Amino acid sequence: MRDDHLKVVKEIIAAVVKNNISLEAEKWLENFTRSTDQLAQLAKVFVMLPRKTGKLPVAINEDQQEALHAAGFGYIRNWTIDRLSRVWLLAGLDLHDKELLFAAINRLFLSAEVNEAVALYSALPLLPHPEIWVKRCAEGIRSNIGSVLEAIMENNPYPAANLDEAAWNQLVLKAFFTEKNINLIVGLDQRANLPLALTLVDYAQERWAAGREVHPQLWRMVGRFINAEIFETLKTGLQHYNQMEQRAIALAISQSGYQPAKDYINTFPELKLALADGSLNWDSFNQ
Amino acid sequence: MCCSSSIERDKAMMGAPEAFDIDVVKGMKFFDPHVHMTSRTTDDYQAMADAGVVALIEPAFWLGQPRTGLDSFNDYYSSLIGWERFRSSQFGIKHYCTIGLNSREANNESLAEQVMEILPSFIYKEGVVGVGEIGFDDQTAAEEKYYRLQLELAKEAGLPVQVHTPHRDKKKGTQRSMDIALEHGLDPYSIIIDHNNEETVNEVLDRGFWAAFTIYPFTKMGNERMVEIVKQYGAERIMVNSAADWGISDPLAVPKTAALMKMRGLSDQDIELVAYSNAITAFAQSGQLDEADFNTQIDLTKKFEGNTILRGGQQPRTDKSSIIIS
Repeated sequence: MRDDHLKVVKEIIAAVVKNNISLEAEKWLENFTRSTDQLAQLAKVFVMLPRKTGKLPVAINEDQQEALHAAGFGYIRNWTIDRLSRVWLLAGLDLHDKELLFAAINRLFLSAEVNEAVALYSALPLLPHPEIWVKRCAEGIRSNIGSVLEAIMENNPYPAANLDEAAWNQLVLKAFFTEKNINLIVGLDQRANLPLALTLVDYAQERWAAGREVHPQLWRMVGRFINAEIFETLKTGLQHYNQMEQRAIALAISQSGYQPAKDYINTFPELKLALADGSLNWDSFNQ
Repeated sequence: MCCSSSIERDKAMMGAPEAFDIDVVKGMKFFDPHVHMTSRTTDDYQAMADAGVVALIEPAFWLGQPRTGLDSFNDYYSSLIGWERFRSSQFGIKHYCTIGLNSREANNESLAEQVMEILPSFIYKEGVVGVGEIGFDDQTAAEEKYYRLQLELAKEAGLPVQVHTPHRDKKKGTQRSMDIALEHGLDPYSIIIDHNNEETVNEVLDRGFWAAFTIYPFTKMGNERMVEIVKQYGAERIMVNSAADWGISDPLAVPKTAALMKMRGLSDQDIELVAYSNAITAFAQSGQLDEADFNTQIDLTKKFEGNTILRGGQQPRTDKSSIIIS
């Protein structure tokens, strides 16, 4: 199922790449894809690729965009051609031995400059044997480089599908710490879990103690896990009179099954009203 | 330190700037027990010396990105006790360091194993005042493993431990760091828990550990909050540091915080404890740190006919306002 799905995506990407590069670049890439010795050439081709493809934003026609969107890869339209070409190159490598493939791509990771690293992490959802990249992805989350983190955290289906709970929770926490666009994290609601909710509640308290605001999307991961203890923290938050935080907490409570919190929210007429008319949803808390 | 930000918003956060008046703390001595000087310029050394910093500790940490081989660790540790110590001495600042495998890189287990093998040859060096900075970042099993192994190393060597507490999930990470240290039979009085905040300080002090605070813009403590903490908890077992590194940070965080404490009515005695002597007391337990070794005789503010008096080995001062570089 996954393989068929990916095959379609890879075919569209191949067509988009072809449409966006010169004939000369196309021949140069074909030289590589037809080579019987990709392993020896990969490092050099991967690194010098932007010289051949250029670095312009990609142009995608409507049919392609529709198909990509349906497959969950619609975000590719915001990439540059060098990034997309590199991802395409990695996804199509003719290396069937799992260890060889790992060693070859891992070498690219170890000496990657920023744009290379962005392309490498962007390629994770399209690589075969997804399980071999779990540690690498967790390592990427430890990066302090903004665009590398964005490549992992935003619009990338790999982490939600493959990371264990601890690494996933680090991704979400780090996204808050580094002010990434939380709405773009794939699988945010599906992978919500109690340890993450408790950690985020601690984080909110720490922010308040430091006189700082709390990102409203944080409560999205908390709603399902509200219990007596978390409820006490939410009450503190509701007393802060930050309207956005209050509304986010109200929305989280509306998605929980904890009745005392629901009753409590009804004592705030403004919040009760906002919930009743359905105007509150997590997208309305876009930064 | 990283990532997205807007100038307008940052400016709004900062409010109207209040000038740092160095005269407020003139004549006071400072000790910065956590600052990554390898990432800083000679201008920073000069400014620190001018502001009264007489000694510092540089904990071993990561380079902003992970190392890929053992030789990089070897060279880095060597540079902390070699070139960087010398560089610092040129500005009249006594340089100490702590040596350890940082938490982030503990996650590369095959490399971490090799690093553990070379650590014993560095932690007994002269001027190495502790094992650090070690502890948790993501709080993974690998981080816990190498934290425990290094605690044992510190115990065997009789060295203090400088514990980095995580940015994320800080409260639990801090509690866990302390629990594990006690489990290994270490005396909390030999352990400096770093990067505290309002949510962690109470427990750290209650359990008998040293509580260090990093004054670092945006991500850690601000110094106004720090003043309030000292007012609330007193000065016992509390110390401040800059943790200045390759991120947007301030190597003058210790003298600036001292000045703010003074302006907001804290006693000279408390300021001295928090910005100087507590750190010395804590790390002198290594037997490798002696106040008498500080080069305090050099008064860098003294001038002779408009020029700074230079002593042997001290770096000449350049005039940064001049277009001519000669």
